[in-house]
Amino acid sequence: MVTQILDPTDERVPIKRSLTPRPEALHGTIALLDISKPRGDVFLDRLEELLHERAPGVETRRFMKPTVAKPAPQPIKDEILEECDFVIEALAD
Amino acid sequence: MHPPTRFALANADGEEMHFPPDGPVLLALVKEDCDTCNLTLPLLEAVHRATEDGLDVWVAVQKRDDIAVLKDRHDLTMPLLDDDALDLSYETDIDTVPTLFLYDEEQNCTLQTFGFDKHEWREIAGESMTLAGRSGGDTAIDWEALPEQRPGCGARNYEPGVYERLQALKSGDLLSRLVDLAASDDIHEFMYEQGYTDGFPVVPPTRERVWKMLQGTPRDPQDEVAVMPPNLAPITVEKIAINAVMAGAKPEYLPSIITLVEIACTESFNIHGVLATTMGATPVGVFNGPIRDRIGMNYLHNALGSGNRANASIGRALRLCARNVGGSVPGGTDRATQGGPHRLTMNFAEHEDASPWESLAVERGFEPTDDVATLMAMSGGPATVADERSRDGRGLAGTLALSMSCMQDPKSPMVDTLVVLSPDHAGIFGRSGWSKDDVRECIMEETAIPLKDRLRSADAGCGLPPDIVERFGGEAALDMPVSKFRDKSNIILVVAGSPAAKFSTILGGWAGGAYSLPTSGKIGV
Repeated sequence: MVTQILDPTDERVPIKRSLTPRPEALHGTIALLDISKPRGDVFLDRLEELLHERAPGVETRRFMKPTVAKPAPQPIKDEILEECDFVIEALAD
Repeated sequence: MHPPTRFALANADGEEMHFPPDGPVLLALVKEDCDTCNLTLPLLEAVHRATEDGLDVWVAVQKRDDIAVLKDRHDLTMPLLDDDALDLSYETDIDTVPTLFLYDEEQNCTLQTFGFDKHEWREIAGESMTLAGRSGGDTAIDWEALPEQRPGCGARNYEPGVYERLQALKSGDLLSRLVDLAASDDIHEFMYEQGYTDGFPVVPPTRERVWKMLQGTPRDPQDEVAVMPPNLAPITVEKIAINAVMAGAKPEYLPSIITLVEIACTESFNIHGVLATTMGATPVGVFNGPIRDRIGMNYLHNALGSGNRANASIGRALRLCARNVGGSVPGGTDRATQGGPHRLTMNFAEHEDASPWESLAVERGFEPTDDVATLMAMSGGPATVADERSRDGRGLAGTLALSMSCMQDPKSPMVDTLVVLSPDHAGIFGRSGWSKDDVRECIMEETAIPLKDRLRSADAGCGLPPDIVERFGGEAALDMPVSKFRDKSNIILVVAGSPAAKFSTILGGWAGGAYSLPTSGKIGV
């Protein structure tokens, strides 16, 4: 009878991450990240329009991943982190 | 065989005895079901009695239950030690019983032998008497009545199954976390519950099996082979071996599986994207070179299907590595909308002898004698192309072109596409004197349609965006023929399958092309 097996996984202990505290109101700059999927721009255009309408004073900045097939390059992630307060990512089609 | 220097074993009364004792000692390792051991145990007892307290004679027995049996059978009074766990046998690395080591008062091993060689045993008995201070004394052994030689028996620590267990437990090769099962756990149900499987049962990766798998490569089990997406986890030879066991692979497949993991994790192949895409792509492996026959891969009947252990388990092992180490799980980072059965495993060998052309590996720069694996990211197919009427290359290439022209949809240009020709179809091209490029160029021409027919329309939303016309020079370009394929190199031709049937198979690549490129690697050791 099998009583022990070897762990086939990478053995990483799952780390619980808590969400960053939600802010009371929108402020500063919001990054709008297009992952290069079809019609991501349509979705973000509309979102940007609504943000400007409903949260005046909030700035938006557009970012785009060079390809949908790979994770965002580090420089894009760094730029968003350093220069923006929020990020909204347009996932999938 | 290494004479032991220190150990502790229990005697027949359960008392722990520490080796070496003070003074000279004759140490023997025996087992019960060995005629030569039974022949020689009375001789050891005779030496024990003749040397009295001038020399210790210790006998380690390879099974606990046999101690009492041997004691009664031969009326033994010398200490019989319990090596049921085979700790001493393993450390000493004996492969034959009986094995004898004689130590002087300084604890130097001065004589050793295995089996029964009358000359050597006589020498050891005489030297034992000398060490005991009874030089020339009578051991009361009737040497004349004994045979000249008797071979020993295989030691228990080298029995099949036992050897692997000892290596797995004691070699220190395996560092993965041990997962304990409760007595009430059903191993198969447990592994499903842990999420270790692809939906089919897996072989439980016990230490013994994993150690045996690792014998398929001389590489250090802790060598880091790659960093496995999507979790970017380092994957060692040992982790690959664990998943290879689970996939049902044999040790001789391990170098191929290691190579597939290496290739899959390259920037060029980009397994991250291949497994994450909503389009449901999967790595398809094609093997070339002598390894195909060496490990019994199938390139004949049902080559792309089930029934061959190497084909099935090598590809499955890669997928299990991606799942268990990389963390690619459907609904998690595996976002395939529908997927397909080839996402379980899709791996085959090229039928090189049935091909009129150089193999895929040679075309990609390798030698015919190299063992090579090539991975391609495929999302479409396998789709059958039936053409039992064409008798020349032109007709057959035309059929292939028609079949390939509607891959994904009839309008969209296509990238890498794998065409697996049956030997009969390949033979038609060979007899017509067609090269691979002739076939490709014909397919390029035959799949070309006016640009306007590749554009999206209100009737069909697929195809190219209308504004692309500007890139081709505006309205005038609308009638320009545009092939299904960007480049003839996107049409990958290999041969596999059994003779006497005119059916081939096409597998459509993952749309986008540069997302993942066909990537080859030489299979190492």
